[in-house]
Amino acid sequence: MALADFLVSLVTFIAIYGLFGLGLNVKFGFTGLIDFGHVAYFMVGGYVTAVVTMPAQITGYDGLGGYALPALLSAIPGGTVLGWLLGVAIGMLAAAFVSLLVGVPTLRLREDYLAITALGVATILNEVVLSEVWLFNGPFGIRSIHEPAAGLFPLGLGSFTVNLLVFGGLSVLVFAYATYRVANYVRHASGRQRTLAVVVALGFAAWYFVQPLIGASNAVVTLQTNLTFLFDPNAGPNGGLDYDRFFMLLSLAFLAGGYWWMQRTINSPYGRVLRAVRDDEDVPRALGKETFRYKIQALLFGSALAGAAGALYTIHIGFISPEQFGAMITFFAFASVIIGGTANNAGVVLGTAVFWAINSGTQFLNDYFPSEYAVQLSASRLILIGIILIVILYYRPEGILGEQDYDISLPGEEAANANVAGPEVGSSDASTGPEADSSAASTGPEVGSSDATGGPTVDDANGGGVDD
Amino acid sequence: MVSTGLLDALAQGLVTGSIIAAGAIGLSLVYSIAEVPNFAHGDMITIGAYLALVVNRPAEISFLPGLPGGAISLLLAAGFALVAAAILGAIYELAIFRQFRDRDADLITMVIVSLGLALILQNIVLFVAGSRNIKYDTATVLDVNWDFYLTGGGLTVQRTQRQAGEIALVGEWGYPWWLLLGVLAAAIAVGYGVYRWRSTDADYRTQHLVSPRVLGVLATAGIVLALGFLARLDPVGTDAIISTRIGTSRKDITVVLVVGIAMFLLNLLLKRTRLGKGMRATADNMDLAEVRGVDVGRIQIVVWVIAGLLAALAGVLAGWNASNLNPNMGFTLLLPVFAAVILGGIRSPYGAAAGALVIGISMDVGVYLLPSNFATYRIAIAFMILILVLMVRPEGLWGDV
Repeated sequence: MALADFLVSLVTFIAIYGLFGLGLNVKFGFTGLIDFGHVAYFMVGGYVTAVVTMPAQITGYDGLGGYALPALLSAIPGGTVLGWLLGVAIGMLAAAFVSLLVGVPTLRLREDYLAITALGVATILNEVVLSEVWLFNGPFGIRSIHEPAAGLFPLGLGSFTVNLLVFGGLSVLVFAYATYRVANYVRHASGRQRTLAVVVALGFAAWYFVQPLIGASNAVVTLQTNLTFLFDPNAGPNGGLDYDRFFMLLSLAFLAGGYWWMQRTINSPYGRVLRAVRDDEDVPRALGKETFRYKIQALLFGSALAGAAGALYTIHIGFISPEQFGAMITFFAFASVIIGGTANNAGVVLGTAVFWAINSGTQFLNDYFPSEYAVQLSASRLILIGIILIVILYYRPEGILGEQDYDISLPGEEAANANVAGPEVGSSDASTGPEADSSAASTGPEVGSSDATGGPTVDDANGGGVDD
Repeated sequence: MVSTGLLDALAQGLVTGSIIAAGAIGLSLVYSIAEVPNFAHGDMITIGAYLALVVNRPAEISFLPGLPGGAISLLLAAGFALVAAAILGAIYELAIFRQFRDRDADLITMVIVSLGLALILQNIVLFVAGSRNIKYDTATVLDVNWDFYLTGGGLTVQRTQRQAGEIALVGEWGYPWWLLLGVLAAAIAVGYGVYRWRSTDADYRTQHLVSPRVLGVLATAGIVLALGFLARLDPVGTDAIISTRIGTSRKDITVVLVVGIAMFLLNLLLKRTRLGKGMRATADNMDLAEVRGVDVGRIQIVVWVIAGLLAALAGVLAGWNASNLNPNMGFTLLLPVFAAVILGGIRSPYGAAAGALVIGISMDVGVYLLPSNFATYRIAIAFMILILVLMVRPEGLWGDV
């Protein structure tokens, strides 16, 4: 796999798990619910979307469904995509509904009891999906995942040159915009943050642009392939945008949508009540707020986002089985949220990028070790993440970015926040506006940030290497 | 042909409950005294089991240097595991949890910290031993079946064993009705007598080393077993009205006895020593205990040492009893262990032990009572019980004792 393909896959992963993490953040970060069963809604969303969108009577599938929504709606123009979107919506609703069933009895419990109960419920649900073949085909999983608009791809715009110019040009624009943003940040930031940003940006450049050149047979072609990552020369007769790249953009669009939704929610008076529930539940209750209802709603929103992430995940992997939805996925999301910044939506995306950059971005290290040490390598990555988690909790419990600023400030903070609120709105709009591109731009440097936090192992590796 | 029944499920549940209890008591001490809802406890169990494996089968760990003396027996390996896990327990406290307590970390932070520790521990096991299933190098223990036939003339007991594929009769004896009823009556009388004798002096100041109720039950069981062993008469036939089989092995009995002894020793520590008094005082109110001169820092270390020790004990026993170790074993035990602790009320190790027995027995009896395709839901049964109890009594069955 070329490094550009790997970057595309990594960014897709970050977008999917970022969406998953945003869902966790509204529960854990903003409302203070320790939902250790978050992965259950990821699983429900993935399975339900897969089942309602796949055609009926698949050989080797004995579970419910095959409701073929995209095929049903194919008469309408754009109906297949609409059918898939409907399927995702149903998946999100199913995830939210399951979380409602779980939440009503458990949300009244103490926070630590809630954590263990949620973990237990997720484990049981996973066990049910694994054992009941009639439900979702049990351990054999689902192999036919509907890919929305797959027929359109690879998308070519004409001759090879046109494709290269358009898609390659877009890629170059993305990098240029990212460089501009980073340079802007570095100019205004000070001290440690500036150093960190520079190190991260240089680390990413070293990993993505310099490292592949070492030992490359044709340096110019390698550089050009990496730079024009949106253009796949092997897709179609004249090259173009292949499905993986399209899917990355789609996932980023979903992430941007989720981000926008969460920003809107949390910056509203409604979001202020959620935060009040987190900080001291008695206060909003004394003010006449039905806090239990707010908690349930936060749970529903978070679970729905997890369900959407699950729907995307099934397409990216192309195959689902219950083993993919172990409790570890929840813990990974917790680690991402806490590393990036609890109660900070941008921090969640950053933390997810750091996490997956450590966990997947260092895959190329495997080439330097004998293959029998693959288990040891993946174990040491997770040990590293565990250590980072504890160290961050000790030295910077609020995470890399800390709690975000809100449009609506609390009484008493108004004077202090009045200046901050303005630019903050602008920046959040900027990152959601031109959806896919700017998100790609902002994930670019973040991927590299693992190189900074990842410590010596990753830095050493930048010296040379082959992509995965 | 006899088949296993409810009694067998009960016996199995007792064994399962004992293993859970070894984990649950440590967890409840950490929960109440160190105030950490320790999600790493399951992985502490795994670490304990693998510590024994590392010296028991050093050849299986590819990149560790072999021991100078070669492999050692499981008994010694278990001893090593307990000591090493105890030291590790102190390290967790000193290196991690004390630091966070000094910063007044709240409960949620402690949960996440323990989660990070769990991630580290589980992956250390993966790093060292890989993800495959493995078992201890130890003598195989044969299962023994105890077949009970309740006939018109009394009770016949057959002891059978599977030898070379065939089920062989090892021993057979019986008890006529009069003896059976006599033994039962005597046992119940003695048990009740013990209970009355121990509880005569009860007022609010008395503190029993072992609660009279537990003593009474133990006396009854002891008398039944002793008389049953001594007065073995001729068999009374096998044309049974009811027959049942209890499958057990020396492993099962060892597990129950070892955990019982460990519980008794901990009980002695808690009730008869100054240290134990300090521990209970700290569990009750840390600040008040500190004001009264209890060295809370030392107590915290002791608590983590005990938790590490008991977790290792649970791990070694679980791995030995199931003849199987894998890096996930502790995590699968984590849910029942937590269920037991919450069921028993997190402040009391005694409640945790009782909760563990309830959970263990209900898991095995539940699997027996439900249709066979529900057998995979053993853990789920434990959990449903926990959720049901929490819905009725959000503070646990025994509350904060």
